[in-house]
Amino acid sequence: MPVIELSFSRLQKLIGKVSKKQISDSLPFLGLDIESEDKDLVRIEYSPNRPDYSTDYGVALGLQGLLGIKTGSVKLTIKKSKNYSISVKPTVSKIRPFVTGIIAKNGKIDDKTIKQLMTMQEDLHFGIGRKRKKSSIGIHDLDKISFPLIYTTTTKNHKFIPLNSEKELSISEIIADTETGKDYGHLLGQSSQVPIILDTNQKTVSFPPIINAAVTTVTTKTKNLFVEVTGINKDDAEDMLSVVATILQSAGFSLEHIQISGAKNSSPKLKEKTMIVDPSLINQTLGLNLNTSKIISSLKKSRLNAISKGKNIVCTIPAYRFDIFGPMDLVEEVALGYGIQNFEPTMSPSQTIGHTNPISLQLKSLNQIIIGLGFLEALNSSLSSKRVLYDMTNRDSKKIISVLDSKSQEHTILRDSILPGLVENLSRNIHESYPQKMFETGSVFNLHDPISEKINLAVISAHKDANFTEIKSVLQTALKIGFGIQIQTKTTVNSTFQDGHCANIIFNGNIIGIIGEIDSKIIENYKIRVPVVGFEISLSNSILKSL
Amino acid sequence: MSQVFHDIEKKIINSLKENSIQSPETLEKSTQLSPDQVRRGIEWLKLKDLAIVDESKSSVISLGKNGLDSFEKGLPERRLLNLVKNGPRKLSDLQKELGFVFGPAMGLCRKNNWIETSSDEIILKTIPSVLPGEKTLQQIGSGKLSKDKLDTNDLSEILKRPDFIIEDVLKNKKISLTTSAKSLDISNTSGAIDVEAEVPEIFVARTHPLKDTIDEIREIFVTLGFSEILGNMTQSSFWNFDALFTPQDHPARELQDTFFLDGISAKKIATPEQINKVSNSHKKNWRYQWDINEARKMVLRTHTTCVTIKHLAENKPDEARIFSLGRVFRNEKVSYKHLVEFNQIEGIVVGKDANLRNLMGIQREFYKRIGITKIKFWPTFFPYTEPSLQTMVYNEKLGKWIELFGMGIFRPEVTKPLGITKPVLAWGGGIERIAMLKYGLDDVREFYNNNLGWLRSNTKCQ
Repeated sequence: MPVIELSFSRLQKLIGKVSKKQISDSLPFLGLDIESEDKDLVRIEYSPNRPDYSTDYGVALGLQGLLGIKTGSVKLTIKKSKNYSISVKPTVSKIRPFVTGIIAKNGKIDDKTIKQLMTMQEDLHFGIGRKRKKSSIGIHDLDKISFPLIYTTTTKNHKFIPLNSEKELSISEIIADTETGKDYGHLLGQSSQVPIILDTNQKTVSFPPIINAAVTTVTTKTKNLFVEVTGINKDDAEDMLSVVATILQSAGFSLEHIQISGAKNSSPKLKEKTMIVDPSLINQTLGLNLNTSKIISSLKKSRLNAISKGKNIVCTIPAYRFDIFGPMDLVEEVALGYGIQNFEPTMSPSQTIGHTNPISLQLKSLNQIIIGLGFLEALNSSLSSKRVLYDMTNRDSKKIISVLDSKSQEHTILRDSILPGLVENLSRNIHESYPQKMFETGSVFNLHDPISEKINLAVISAHKDANFTEIKSVLQTALKIGFGIQIQTKTTVNSTFQDGHCANIIFNGNIIGIIGEIDSKIIENYKIRVPVVGFEISLSNSILKSL
Repeated sequence: MSQVFHDIEKKIINSLKENSIQSPETLEKSTQLSPDQVRRGIEWLKLKDLAIVDESKSSVISLGKNGLDSFEKGLPERRLLNLVKNGPRKLSDLQKELGFVFGPAMGLCRKNNWIETSSDEIILKTIPSVLPGEKTLQQIGSGKLSKDKLDTNDLSEILKRPDFIIEDVLKNKKISLTTSAKSLDISNTSGAIDVEAEVPEIFVARTHPLKDTIDEIREIFVTLGFSEILGNMTQSSFWNFDALFTPQDHPARELQDTFFLDGISAKKIATPEQINKVSNSHKKNWRYQWDINEARKMVLRTHTTCVTIKHLAENKPDEARIFSLGRVFRNEKVSYKHLVEFNQIEGIVVGKDANLRNLMGIQREFYKRIGITKIKFWPTFFPYTEPSLQTMVYNEKLGKWIELFGMGIFRPEVTKPLGITKPVLAWGGGIERIAMLKYGLDDVREFYNNNLGWLRSNTKCQ
């Protein structure tokens, strides 16, 4: 989840009369986790469904509501204007078909504001922009641009000076050599044409979704902004724009309209939506008994507007709250506005009788028996490695089930057997006193339509007198006492076990497992200095009873 | 009260009464006990102030390779002097005859003024009858000799020469009885044994500590009226993500967070109706082209919620309390606080009157039963619940609030497409975190190390 750094003093200025303690006490009740606090700075983690919390302006809006300083929804005031327009050429429709944008004027921009806008942009790109794939933003110095603009395509030979560069680069060079080019160039696909925003003098403004032109860079001298959002879906692009517009208005900018036309594009509406919610849904879901006015005031504390209409409540939701899908989301807004700390937990009596799953019960009984026979329970991961599962124990690795891109080398393959892990466990304990007797029950995995998961039992014994007879006695007793089962052992050959000291375990004519003395080469590989005997059986098919 | 002695102690005392000072080795012979028994017996007697253990060190000297060579052929300097005693000799001839000892021999003879050199010849000046070190060399010869029997001065002449002298330091233990022990009557005839003696350590067979915690949690759920369901760890993306309203381009569905099984997709994932309704909900709410092949991809479940949602979709209960418990997976770097595979408990309540305060009440009850009473709730976000909360519990040992279970009410976008009509309360979280608090561990990896030292010594009843 994204983390941002805020300053208490800046928040206090934005919110109004509020103490530092009030702020840090209230942040968690907005759903913002405090990661760390250091004097004036506080680092918070916010949920990606609330991109408006990616700046202190958005957090301040939320806190104002929760603390009752300013409630109700934030209304965007966008001045109608004919000075600004973007025309879209049909060639973009196959690459990045939509553009939208807004003008923000007469704001004061200091270093801290620039930093807030930059983190907002990055978080929006990463989260709802899906790493710029769905939508991406460019924020420009309006006074460096001559309108009207066109959003069109160009060839890879097109040249301009990109942000953070001193000299002109071609599109091909930008994609090949700059950091953002390397990271996001793949979004443009194999097409020879790329999207570009040009101003009326054919000057490059932006090469979305990769990089802006250097000439429009926002500095502390910038007063007026041009914001453009491009994307593959019109609604998503407008959602992103709505967050930026709301934040800029909160930061003191006056918004002005941009006319957008051509190739299925149109000017952004950034309109509020209304939603009807039944108070009884709210009270039933929350377990409360709130009257209509309390519900309305709670919604307002969550920075929404609401009025009662007959039995229902009509809620007005600003455009940037596109995380609200339906009435249930409004229930949560009421809960937050009401204050989670004000909920008294209640315990309703159970209407049901609980029971443990019969498989779990049988496994627990089996555990007790194996422990009674002197064995200690071990636990290993289901996700193991080729080394442990196959290489060290000489097993056939043809049918492995591996995971993609594991960050841990020791966890790359789903185990098809438990015993190899137990042998490896012995190797980590060679300095501990013997005898060492361990067992494990757990799932093993095999390829079968697409994957079968079975429960196995593996038992291992290592000490200077360990031998086949000992481990067969354990197997025989465990199954007889556990399940009333008689098994036979039939001689076999297996690469994990010593020749002539290995047998299949047979029950009702089927092979259900293997038993024997672990091959001395394996023991040597692991630097274990005592003989090791063990067995592994499948419990799932014939032994455990599911009811 | 007369003292009671172990058989081992009796044998040692009796032997020392006959022969008052003995080494452990002689005690082994005289008592017929094993080295280990003698060692233990001596320790016990020492603790009871009945035996005195006198430890001393001694050095034994023998000759090394070069020492033996000199013993046979004479010291290098002696050999040089012998070659020049009958008149001056050429330097190059002497070099040839003496080989690698020529250098050291020359150095010593010149230093002691026994020879002089003129142009390329070497001339004898004087020849002592006994050279320093020769006496020691003869005394040791090819045998071994205690260091205190040698003339320290003469020894020092050759002690530092490479491979001349080998010095072994031997530890000697001399065991004797204390005065009080000498007069002890150990002929105890009462048949009593030494109940105060130390005994060897033996090791218990037991369940794994993490399993104890899992069993404890399972029992709490059962007594609260919940029934256990089981499910596979390998799941299609459909049940792990799509059915839980997690869009296909959601960051959680990337390789860097979730384990996808290499090249494995499920043919049959759900009923056509389920697939149809779930995909429509995605298309409508998340606005993208839903792809069934993405939903077929097999993953290692990232939560047990896939098991519970599948159960609910199949059974559509109006009233139910169920839980599932098992391993879940995250593609993370393993560290003291992160595992790739850990256990999760998840509880579900279905009922027409199920509400958020009930959900909070069940949490409070559960925590109370595992001994946690200081809890609070904070809002949070999960893709498949609304409203969503998390519990913070206060840990006295650490002196801080810790995030434990997440919870919420399943979103209508989750329940409606699967035909679930009543509200569903859901909550869950990792079990290792609770077990770490219980066992005071600060490294979660310990649960899966199978370190016998820890497993054998960990206190079970906590």
